[in-house]
Amino acid sequence: MRIPCDWLKEYIEIDLPAEEIGRVLTMGGLEVEQVVEHRDEAGGAAEPVLVTSVTSNRGDLLSVVGTARHLSALTGRCLRAPSYSSPATESPVTADRRVELGPVTVEIIDAEGCPRYCALLIEGIQVGPSPQWMQARLEAAGLRAINNVVDCTNYVMLELGQPLHAFDFHLLADGHVIVRKARAGETLTTLDGIDRRLTPDDLLICDPGGPIALAGVMGGASTEIHAGSTAVLLEAAHFHPATVRKTSLRLGLSTEASYRFERHVDPNLPLVALARVAELIIQTAGGQIKGQAIDVKTRAFSPRTVTLRPARCNALLGTDIAPRQMSDYLKRLGFEVRRANEDLVQVTVPTARPDVQREVDLIEEIAVIHGYDNIPLTIPGKLAASAVLTVEQRTERRARHILRACGLNETISFSMISPRDLQKLGLPPGHPQTNCLSLANPMSEEYTVMRTTLLPSLLAAAQHNINQRVTEIALYEINRVYLPQEGSELPSEPKRVAGLVTGSPFTARWNMPRSAELVDFFWIKGIVEQLCEGLGIQELAWARANHPAFHPGRCARLLVSGRDAGVVGEMSPEVQQNFDLPEKVYAFELDFDLLIEKANLTNVYKPLPRLPAALRDVAVIVPDTDEFSAARVMETIKAAGGEYLAAVEPFDVFTDPKRIGPGRRSLAFSLQFRAPDRALTSEEVEAMMEAIYARLEKELGAEVRKTQ
Amino acid sequence: MLEQLQQLADEALAAIAQAEDEKQLEQVRVKYLGRKGLLRQLQQGIKDIPAEQRPAVGKKFNEVSAQLKEAFAGRQEELAARPAVEDASADRVDVTLPGRTLRIGKQHPLLATLERMTEIFIGLGFSVVEGPEVENYYYSFEALNYPPDHPAMDEQMTFYISNNVLLRSQTSTVQVRAMERMQPPVRIIVPGRCFRRDNVDATHCHTFYQLEGLLVDEGVTFADLKGTLEAFATAMYGEQCHMRFRPDFFPFTEPSAEIALTCILCGGKGCRVCSHTGWLEVGGSGMVDPNVLEGVGYDSERYTGFAFGMGIERLAMLMHGIDDIRLFYSGDMRFLEQF
Repeated sequence: MRIPCDWLKEYIEIDLPAEEIGRVLTMGGLEVEQVVEHRDEAGGAAEPVLVTSVTSNRGDLLSVVGTARHLSALTGRCLRAPSYSSPATESPVTADRRVELGPVTVEIIDAEGCPRYCALLIEGIQVGPSPQWMQARLEAAGLRAINNVVDCTNYVMLELGQPLHAFDFHLLADGHVIVRKARAGETLTTLDGIDRRLTPDDLLICDPGGPIALAGVMGGASTEIHAGSTAVLLEAAHFHPATVRKTSLRLGLSTEASYRFERHVDPNLPLVALARVAELIIQTAGGQIKGQAIDVKTRAFSPRTVTLRPARCNALLGTDIAPRQMSDYLKRLGFEVRRANEDLVQVTVPTARPDVQREVDLIEEIAVIHGYDNIPLTIPGKLAASAVLTVEQRTERRARHILRACGLNETISFSMISPRDLQKLGLPPGHPQTNCLSLANPMSEEYTVMRTTLLPSLLAAAQHNINQRVTEIALYEINRVYLPQEGSELPSEPKRVAGLVTGSPFTARWNMPRSAELVDFFWIKGIVEQLCEGLGIQELAWARANHPAFHPGRCARLLVSGRDAGVVGEMSPEVQQNFDLPEKVYAFELDFDLLIEKANLTNVYKPLPRLPAALRDVAVIVPDTDEFSAARVMETIKAAGGEYLAAVEPFDVFTDPKRIGPGRRSLAFSLQFRAPDRALTSEEVEAMMEAIYARLEKELGAEVRKTQ
Repeated sequence: MLEQLQQLADEALAAIAQAEDEKQLEQVRVKYLGRKGLLRQLQQGIKDIPAEQRPAVGKKFNEVSAQLKEAFAGRQEELAARPAVEDASADRVDVTLPGRTLRIGKQHPLLATLERMTEIFIGLGFSVVEGPEVENYYYSFEALNYPPDHPAMDEQMTFYISNNVLLRSQTSTVQVRAMERMQPPVRIIVPGRCFRRDNVDATHCHTFYQLEGLLVDEGVTFADLKGTLEAFATAMYGEQCHMRFRPDFFPFTEPSAEIALTCILCGGKGCRVCSHTGWLEVGGSGMVDPNVLEGVGYDSERYTGFAFGMGIERLAMLMHGIDDIRLFYSGDMRFLEQF
């Protein structure tokens, strides 16, 4: 809200400069975002204006007087509290549902939406421009001047915080105001000229002919004050905050009035505001009050009494404020304080402060006026147990270290994607990963669903880099995916680890053979192996996999303890094309929760071998099919080699139709034999090699090429 | 004489073994076995000893001489068998060419900042917990004491999946879940990802990270909140950095405070980044509202607590001089490799 300083100073004796007032208010919970200089159109002196930002619990600060009261409480300076009244409002005609007074009838049907409705009739007015001083203040406060009657209602709203409305009384059917909910199908043309279709949630001000205003939001065009108006019926009501808010939100229509009603307006303010606005209208537009004010009051609005234990206040704040001091702070806020006994204080809270309901709310008021800066700093003691990362958290950190050591840069990407991204990934309709949670209110077409895989984000990042002419790309992300669950409103949010590489992993490539400088399938697979190795994961297995995003011949599934842990491979040519990736791109996406579950960060030392190993080679020629995979040949060798076979490593793999025949493949392995306690004799080693040859021939039908 | 002879033999054997090339070995040979060598010199003293001892001494001389000759020959053979060390001075590389190794990967600056903050709070006795990013209405608003249909909810700019399911707009949602599982003392931090319907520009993004803290125990005070966050500020940015507390409103804390750090760019003197205030707003905090404590079945007379939440992006941007929040989510190698 914009608060002109000269207006503020009408209600508080203060000689501080505007900047200092701004600082005091800001540190006192009413943030002054900036202090601006306002110069009115007549070219008068520049006047400082405080631009305040009011928290949503403090509707009472949305006025000049409210701001003055808070400033007075913070500084102890004297508040010049206004006491507006008139004979007409001193003794209003009151009832709980309906008042008929002369030509005016006011009737509340929806008491929940409108607990109180006050009205006052002024006759014999002459509509025209409002006086210059009033126009200047409204402008400084950011409002446009309209005419003397409307300007007076706006002026009082800014001054006291009570939104008011002025109806042209002669345009009101039967002089009869009815407050009720809308009926299905009703419409209203609001002051801004827009036809509004209403719903039964909307609270209306009506006359017998139908709606004439959206209660607490905006008046209707049909009863608007115009140049020829001669009688005005003034409305000062108390509307239920949530009711106003619903209508305002639904229509996307936020006004000065709705903004204040949503944040609660003092239910005891309407008559005061009517007295003040009547005074100003008569002063600026002439006319006189007709009869008494009408006050339809569906219930009483009494101030609340809250008990404060000063000791509890100090215990919560960690302070040593004297009870007398606390009382003084509360009195400055306009609260009434009665000391019940040494340990208890009874505090009566004005109805302008619905946010103060409990002892803890009083404690906050005391803390604010005392000043947060004056509360000491202490370190909470009593550590129950030392805080440590859990095993899972430590494992995640280790995984991040390993992936970076493997050359992958850590990245993060959005949790929201578009279904189009999943199509680009080659996932056919009905693929499990196309079952995504959808946002009900997305911001853009790019981000409409919650991702079920990290791969599209990494591929999009690769595309971005390629577009920037960066061709060496190495990325990983550990993050959640969101999988809808049967029988649960909330999705599961498992963590995935995904990585992507393309180009060269080296810092420099000069004089490197082309074949060695670029990453390939075995590079990305190596990274995954290193990750598992570094996490101490046992029981890994690899199998050829079919995944729509990956190249059919270069995609593997990782199995950890027999469970599917994810895929690794080269992206399919279609995916490469969809993401405009010219070079071959390799990626993996793994079930990170499974890796964490199977990780073991505490490795057990194995004694170093005391004796050198005996080394042998073996080469086999087998059919070039998945059935005769390297893994199977190695398993066969291991099974036949016995306990002293310490290692089997491939060193040469080739196909060559001329040398070894078509459809066949040669695989050569180096073997290490070692006994823990003695040197193996060459006879022993030969016997083991013979067993291996025999097993390879028998089980795989392999042609074994024996080498020494 | 025999002793002298044995000592000479030991010395000579050691010298032979230590000779590193043929030249050294020849020097050793001349010194001990040469015509004017030490062995021959000692041998000349043989005429001075009693005659009856001479045969034994002479025999020993012959043994030693043979032993040394054998060792000498053996060492000569060893040295000859060694490959010649070539003269390396001609073989040189251009040491100014770039080195060639595997590029290491870098840590994301946002997660690095989060990790550092986490370490400081672990040191202050807080354990790390996580919670769901897709949350239901209850944990997001109701359990956090948001009044129904209140404007305070507008500030959250929430993404909804359905009426009852949404993307969390703050990590505070984890407070209640954690307290439901635990009994006081509760002393936790919650780092995590949040979402708000905020238009994306250089300083705003619909996705962001927060670090939430919660301490509930007997006798926890607002002064404890201030002291804890001040300790964090100085640990993170140094002794000259402080935390400012200013009254604010959050439904789930009472009293509530906005928290601001001494501007780390200007040191609190005032600059463009801190709007010339010397302070950078980093989040919110306060004493846990009794309604929140009672909602999880804690006795709010016996237990009190504080909570705080901080945004990470801004801290990371200031620390590293990053001027566009979108870079964090770009996956741009040119950005990521700088950290």
